[in-house]
Amino acid sequence: MSASQPTSPATIDDGSAPRIVIIGAGPAGMGTAITLAERGLPVTIVDQNPIPGGQIYRYPAVPPVRPRTPDRGSALRVLLDDHSERITLLSGHQVTNIETADAERRVSVCGPGGLRTLQPDQLVLAPGAYEYVPPFPGWTLPGVMTPGAAQQLVKSQGVAPGRRVLLAGTGPFLLVVALALHEVGVEVIGIADTVRRRDAFWKLPSLLSDGKLLKQGFDYLAGVRKAGIPLLTGRIVTRAEGRGRLQQVVLAPCDSDWIPDHDRSAPMKVDTLCVGYGFVPRLGLARLAGCELTPTNLPGGWIPTTDPWGQTSVPGVWTAGDGAGVAGAIVAELAGQLVGLGILSRCGVLEPGEVERLADPIRDRLRQLGRFRSGLDELAELKPGLSGLASTDTVVCRCEEITRETVDTAIEAGNTSLRSLKMATRLGMGPCQGRMCQPACARRLVDIGCSTAEAVGRPAFRPPLVPVTVGQVAGIDATAPEDLVDDAWETDDVS
Amino acid sequence: MTDSTFDVVIAGGGVAGMTTARELAARDLSVLVVDRHLPGRATSASAGGLWPIGEAVGLGCGVIYQATRQPIGSTVADGADAVPESLPEVFRDFLVASNSMFPELSASLLDETGIDIELDPGPGLLFLMQTIGQQSVVDNIARGLPDGCVLELLSPDDVRELEPAVSPDIVGGALLPGEHQVNPMLLTEACKRSALTRGARFQHDRLVDEILREGDRVTGVRIGDDTISCRHVVNAAGAWAGRLAATAGVSIPVEPVRGQVVLTEALEPLLGTCLSTSSCYLAQKRHGEVLIGSTTEHVGFDTGVTEEGIGGLCRGAARAVPSLTHARIKRTWAGLRPGTPDELPILGGVAGLDGYSHVAGGFRTGIVAAPLMARVAAQHIGHETPEVAMGDYLAARFDHEDSLPAHS
Repeated sequence: MSASQPTSPATIDDGSAPRIVIIGAGPAGMGTAITLAERGLPVTIVDQNPIPGGQIYRYPAVPPVRPRTPDRGSALRVLLDDHSERITLLSGHQVTNIETADAERRVSVCGPGGLRTLQPDQLVLAPGAYEYVPPFPGWTLPGVMTPGAAQQLVKSQGVAPGRRVLLAGTGPFLLVVALALHEVGVEVIGIADTVRRRDAFWKLPSLLSDGKLLKQGFDYLAGVRKAGIPLLTGRIVTRAEGRGRLQQVVLAPCDSDWIPDHDRSAPMKVDTLCVGYGFVPRLGLARLAGCELTPTNLPGGWIPTTDPWGQTSVPGVWTAGDGAGVAGAIVAELAGQLVGLGILSRCGVLEPGEVERLADPIRDRLRQLGRFRSGLDELAELKPGLSGLASTDTVVCRCEEITRETVDTAIEAGNTSLRSLKMATRLGMGPCQGRMCQPACARRLVDIGCSTAEAVGRPAFRPPLVPVTVGQVAGIDATAPEDLVDDAWETDDVS
Repeated sequence: MTDSTFDVVIAGGGVAGMTTARELAARDLSVLVVDRHLPGRATSASAGGLWPIGEAVGLGCGVIYQATRQPIGSTVADGADAVPESLPEVFRDFLVASNSMFPELSASLLDETGIDIELDPGPGLLFLMQTIGQQSVVDNIARGLPDGCVLELLSPDDVRELEPAVSPDIVGGALLPGEHQVNPMLLTEACKRSALTRGARFQHDRLVDEILREGDRVTGVRIGDDTISCRHVVNAAGAWAGRLAATAGVSIPVEPVRGQVVLTEALEPLLGTCLSTSSCYLAQKRHGEVLIGSTTEHVGFDTGVTEEGIGGLCRGAARAVPSLTHARIKRTWAGLRPGTPDELPILGGVAGLDGYSHVAGGFRTGIVAAPLMARVAAQHIGHETPEVAMGDYLAARFDHEDSLPAHS
């Protein structure tokens, strides 16, 4: 964007400026905000974190380790700062509800001053994604966490999650976290990737589409090798075991459907397991806004339906970044810029020809990244072996402590949609709104041939997305909201 | 489906459809329930209050409903002193009789399915008097009591002894002992599983698009591209019952009446009674959540929640039970009550169409009325003598009526 940045645009602030609200200050939200602010449009960003950057560019509260590389997050924060007169940043604010009835958009926001309502003309949803861990025996033991939670402990708090750590799941993020843990002195005893080496080999052509990213991947691999961390491909963690906390995991070889060969399984002594099978787009905002969804084969199973600019099925509601379909920070930022251009065009700030001229190079780059991504996505595509790991007594819904057996009994009684399973068993009725159990059960219903993704149904969300008190809603309690429940899962289990 | 012919097809799998399925399956009839769980199903937004007299004298959502029906110009604010209308005695007695079926039903369902429907016999339904003017509401309750039922009038001290969490600002209370609550979702699920074990069949996530008739009799239903033949169709389609009836050429005045509700996170035991005030009702469920209900709005099939609606309920709840101010809200949502103009359900068939009947229009008493509605419907279909005269509940009562309400 810098090449086309006007030198000193006046802020369009004569009362005619559209009211633009962006939810989420990760790479996508920042990409949109900077694109709009560069062209003189005022924007408001609502962000749950104290400092912009999202999960990926999470800024260390107390810098525990030197930054590995000059990071893009810092650069984006500088750009946000440069445009601070046009960008209102509501940090530490969470969206509780979105109403889009009658072409009006009402966004309820909870922050240090209590609840307030924003009424944007254009609303951008950039909520990001969370890590996917379907239930398996022992997954609720303390010591079992997501790679992201472990990374956050190291990056934000300078705390090592454990002494002997195994990473397991899929994707290059495991390598990133393994190196971060190794760097702070944690003994990483291995990275177990469910994808077999021979299955990965066939994806090389698409991965070769972006030499720079592929090299980055190889650099991580080289780093892992140099650190002496064994890479165990074609292995799946079938159980986590221990009295009161994790003491060992059971690792088994698996086939291309990720079905474990239990006869060849072996225990490994660890005190920490970091396990993640990719990322689930956060769909709560889009669902409350009434956006239509499109099915995918990736974790979560659904993404918001959008046009090429990132506008959803609800006019004036846009989405970008991992919340619109997981593709990483670079894609998120570019997609955020495209949303910005779309809004500039919609608001008449830029001529259509100019918008196309600015969008072309972004689209070219996105296409190239898309080819690379499709290779990664095919590798990360969930296989049926994963949804079969839970045993009858495994808790599948942590909030309501619902076991797999309870769910199976309800399925046998014909409850083959998320909605009917919820009514029959309380699955997903907890404060987290089924962030893990609903996508996992949806996946299982499809894997065991009981239902189709369409019949299982789209994930449902009800306001408030984050807990607010009766008093706050009644307008008689103006205390600040509590920390987002959303992240409690990972961090709670660490302690 | 291997069988494509059934004795009875039930359209709708909410509490009305499932209790009816269980009753019919017990009569050795082959039964198919066709159900898609649409957003707004009233069973899923119900407090599960079993308040036969309370609802009959207009407590529960009745007080709130009444407030919304005041003539323009006499708009009532939170806590107004409107005296709710009472339902006809015959229906009050119907509700009392239906309520008395719950203990046995609960025990049978636990035995048959292992599901505990959470029938909680608490101290009763407590109306909180928040102003002196609300004495008129209490007088109205007393007038509406059937023989043999008691209303306990409570001083502010009595109320606080019974419910320490209630605001010290109240001026009194009136307790209806024996009015309790149930978990409506589990009631529905248990009836379904009981019906399954009795041989009923289900088609989930499907809708009856059309009731098929030939001349003066029903021949089956159309579900998407499939046709299923049957001898009898039960319309238990909740707020959508009017739409379904229309496909058979039948007109019934069932309209969705939206009820927004608020559910708190699970709390330590806070409330023993079910509380009714003039702006909300409160019931703490078995898992500890407090359900705060509910608005009554005629907004079509819109299942959204509004700042105004939810805000009003929260103000009412915080006023009645101050400690709830700091309770976190877990969910807010809305259900669509199947409303009828006279607030009475619609049962039985219609003249000129054999093989069609209703278990419809449960409005704000659909849970407590369900066991008896289902029993009567099954007796009617099974050619037994219904244990309650159905005349008051036939759809025919709405014929020749241009405008409503019927009772006053």
